[in-house]
Amino acid sequence: MKTRMAALFASDRPDLPALLDGLPVGVAVLDEECRVRFLNKTLESLTGFAREDVRGLPCRHVLRSRACVQGCPWARPEGEGGSLETDLINRHRRRIAVRLTPVLLRDADGRELARLDVIEDLTPIKEMEERLSQAAGPGQMVGRSQAMEKLLRLVPVIAQSDSPVLITGETGTGKDLLAEAVHRASPRSREPFVRFSCGPMPEELLEADLFGRRGSGGEGRPGRFQQAHNGTLYLSEIADLPVQQQARLVRCLDERAILPVGADKPVRVNVRLIASTNADPEALIRSGRLREDLFHRLAAFRLHLPPLRQRGEDVSFLLQHFLGVYAARFKKTIAGFSPKALRLLSAYAFPGNVRELKNIVEFAAMVCSGETILPAHLPAHLPGAHDAPEAAPRAARKTGRKAKG
Amino acid sequence: MDKKILIALRGDEVAPRFDLATEALMVTLTDQGEIMDRKSLLLAHASGDDLCDLALARDASGVVCGAVEEEYYHYLRWKRVDVLDSVAGPVEDVLRALAGGTLRAGDVLFPREG
Repeated sequence: MKTRMAALFASDRPDLPALLDGLPVGVAVLDEECRVRFLNKTLESLTGFAREDVRGLPCRHVLRSRACVQGCPWARPEGEGGSLETDLINRHRRRIAVRLTPVLLRDADGRELARLDVIEDLTPIKEMEERLSQAAGPGQMVGRSQAMEKLLRLVPVIAQSDSPVLITGETGTGKDLLAEAVHRASPRSREPFVRFSCGPMPEELLEADLFGRRGSGGEGRPGRFQQAHNGTLYLSEIADLPVQQQARLVRCLDERAILPVGADKPVRVNVRLIASTNADPEALIRSGRLREDLFHRLAAFRLHLPPLRQRGEDVSFLLQHFLGVYAARFKKTIAGFSPKALRLLSAYAFPGNVRELKNIVEFAAMVCSGETILPAHLPAHLPGAHDAPEAAPRAARKTGRKAKG
Repeated sequence: MDKKILIALRGDEVAPRFDLATEALMVTLTDQGEIMDRKSLLLAHASGDDLCDLALARDASGVVCGAVEEEYYHYLRWKRVDVLDSVAGPVEDVLRALAGGTLRAGDVLFPREG
């Protein structure tokens, strides 16, 4: 194969090295033993290695990616190709998030010519995601009320343990954010955080999605547990999980192993489990929707997120916080809320909790074209919002539309 | 004075990644470059933090590894542990070079093919 492959780089052929060097993605050309034959310029710059220095080396010592060590893509059974997100550490000791796509190059007769590792640098995308997430606020639990401060003080303490956590709280109170906050503060923070909603879906599909599937030929599809290996698995709305699957979950927690659908041997998994429900767990047990043994295993730590109506000064704090977030995002100069708008918002019960408050502020910031949020900028469903507007939104006046109410 | 060196391992070669190594070899070298003692250590799970702790707990004066993140590199250097990183090769070859005093960061001891 080496001879056939060498022909690819021969002088009477199209200038393949120049073609590969012109690509904006990194490419490593490997032989059948996964030894490096060529690195294009992009990959040289990404890894910090010169092609002549690494020719003939096992690729794991050149790419130095997590995937090379924890599951070489070339060791996967054929048909299980596709891209995977991983990271590499380059020669300058910098960790870089990358997408690795293994590509098998064949000749006209279908014989293997070369293996290509196509490497995309995900740093710009990750930085963008980071900026967006910071701008939008998810991942950050904010609150100044006594109840929230008490809860937030517990997060780093609980994060150090590996025991399961049960988060309760009404819809929109931030259960997902709290679960992520626990993961981020934990020693598992660099490992995956996998979310899984136990909402209604066919039971067989749910089982395969959660525990994975093993085919007759030994190939398989990893489930959420395997995806979260060494990290955290977050199961939201745990009471929606069928009782039979709840029993499997109990076994899994006891044995620290899962049995994929179609498999005859359990697979060991190292996963920290966080579950949440918006209902009262005791009531769920009484109604038979939540197994008591599962509850006791999950509730090693129990965190309850109070509804917004019990968070006192948090309403005005969150209003100002999200206004800052959305004003920046929409590139507007909005200083605050008018006294009447603030009174209306403070009197509102926010049945959808922080999520609803956030949506209201986003709407108001979008509609407002002045420097102050007025009642007329608030959504129409808010009681009293459009009864006696202090002034019509400027945007509505410009387009000739009348403000509602 | 004898010195202890920790080598992050993956099977019988230097681990390509320090933070993902689950094995380590602790060797004690005499002033004359003789290997006086070697101990294999298995880690419960791969962790750069744990490997740093292990090197410090065992009074290692040097660490040999493949890729290491800057954070761990500077931490070990701050703790006065020499780090020979970007080393690639079979462990026995690495040990020979180490005993001979010729091992350097970035050394590749695999036979080059083709």
